[in-house]
Amino acid sequence: MIPAGQGRTVRTAGVMGTVASIHVIAADGSREHRAVLAAIDACFDELRDVERVFSTFRDDSDICRLRDGLIEADEADARVAVVRAACVDAKDSTGGRFDAWRRGWFDPTGYVKGWATEHAARSMLAPLLGRAGIDAVGINVGGDMQLFTAAESAWLWHVGVADPTRCGEVSATMEVRNGAVATSGTAERGAHIIDPHTNAPVLGVASATVVADGLELADLWATTAVIAGFDDLSWIASPGVRSGLVVSSDGRVRRWANGLELTASDRSTAAPDALPFAVRRGA
Amino acid sequence: MKKIIYGLLATVAGVVLLFSYRTSLDAVAPAASTGGTTRNGTSTGSSGSTSTGSTTSAGSTASGSTSTSSPSSSASASASSSSLKDGSFTGQAVDTRYGPVQVRITVSGGKITKVSVPQYPTQSFRDQQINQQAVPTLVSETLSAQSAKIDMVSGATYTSDGYLQSLQSALDGARA
Repeated sequence: MIPAGQGRTVRTAGVMGTVASIHVIAADGSREHRAVLAAIDACFDELRDVERVFSTFRDDSDICRLRDGLIEADEADARVAVVRAACVDAKDSTGGRFDAWRRGWFDPTGYVKGWATEHAARSMLAPLLGRAGIDAVGINVGGDMQLFTAAESAWLWHVGVADPTRCGEVSATMEVRNGAVATSGTAERGAHIIDPHTNAPVLGVASATVVADGLELADLWATTAVIAGFDDLSWIASPGVRSGLVVSSDGRVRRWANGLELTASDRSTAAPDALPFAVRRGA
Repeated sequence: MKKIIYGLLATVAGVVLLFSYRTSLDAVAPAASTGGTTRNGTSTGSSGSTSTGSTTSAGSTASGSTSTSSPSSSASASASSSSLKDGSFTGQAVDTRYGPVQVRITVSGGKITKVSVPQYPTQSFRDQQINQQAVPTLVSETLSAQSAKIDMVSGATYTSDGYLQSLQSALDGARA
């Protein structure tokens, strides 16, 4: 553990309606301090620029002007086509649970944050690892993070998952060296996730957390998990998904890793003569 | 007595691959609460432990929801307390479809407190990759972010205002 204040540089900035936090872990924080701060600023700048193009809260964004018919697709920022293609794939891979066209026009709001954060982090922050003394760098945008650790470093990111039912507490922890963790749910902003199939707000899942290689995928599947519901874990073996957990609105928890559900916490299936933790006999 | 232990170990070996990872097994010791499912006592045998009706986030109103059956878990805990001897026990390697698995359990106070896998299967188990699976470990008791040495908090997206009340904000402030 790097002591607070020593070797850890933290900067925050408001972007995309939330706050981004960047942490840079360095055995000797002073040596490369200027380069670290420059990389952090560049990352924040890129996120603000993506917001300028994609925000649905700005009438002058490319997305809003496309929606309003003020520009054609080929006049928009080149990144719009990239995200549009990704959203086509996402709709397909999630079986329509994620649908950027649900509102009748192309609204990639639910996709852009994860995509932009992963790409900004990979291009602006990850290169810091090549510098002497820097162990790790990570960015957390509104609860969704992309983390990097230098191959030769012993650093481990200790990630807490906010308890959706008890404000200010964590319900699980995990250790990540390289990868992304995203959580979707109703805990912070109420029932704002819409099931495209029913057009109704999703209520059964308080929060869903997905660990994946990249935040673009982690965020997509965390959102999809909320829409799929607490009972449906059929998607957990999807490419890129490593592990995660889902918490139901009434506080039940399901976990999985490597495509397998971890049933140890499921006491409801424990037979009277079972071990203190549930065991599937003959599995 | 020995029969029970080794029967137990064989059974555990068969399922250990479901958990895939030692850390997750550590987290399912009887004392571990299942992250808000039930807040019952640590298997003292009292089945009447109350679960606090978990309230939900803004937007839905489930309340007083019943917890999953605590009778079964407490029953098993009391049963085990009368049959398990304290100590560490290592089972024989058992062949599974994932390869050989050897399990070690630690019993303390009549309860299994730890399950670990001294011998990892090598075929199609890929230790290296498994170790990067970042298996979520359920928190066993009330835990503040600071006490858990947490670096980052993942949660439903907070607004700019919500950030100020967030755990992440506390972590950023503590380490800025």
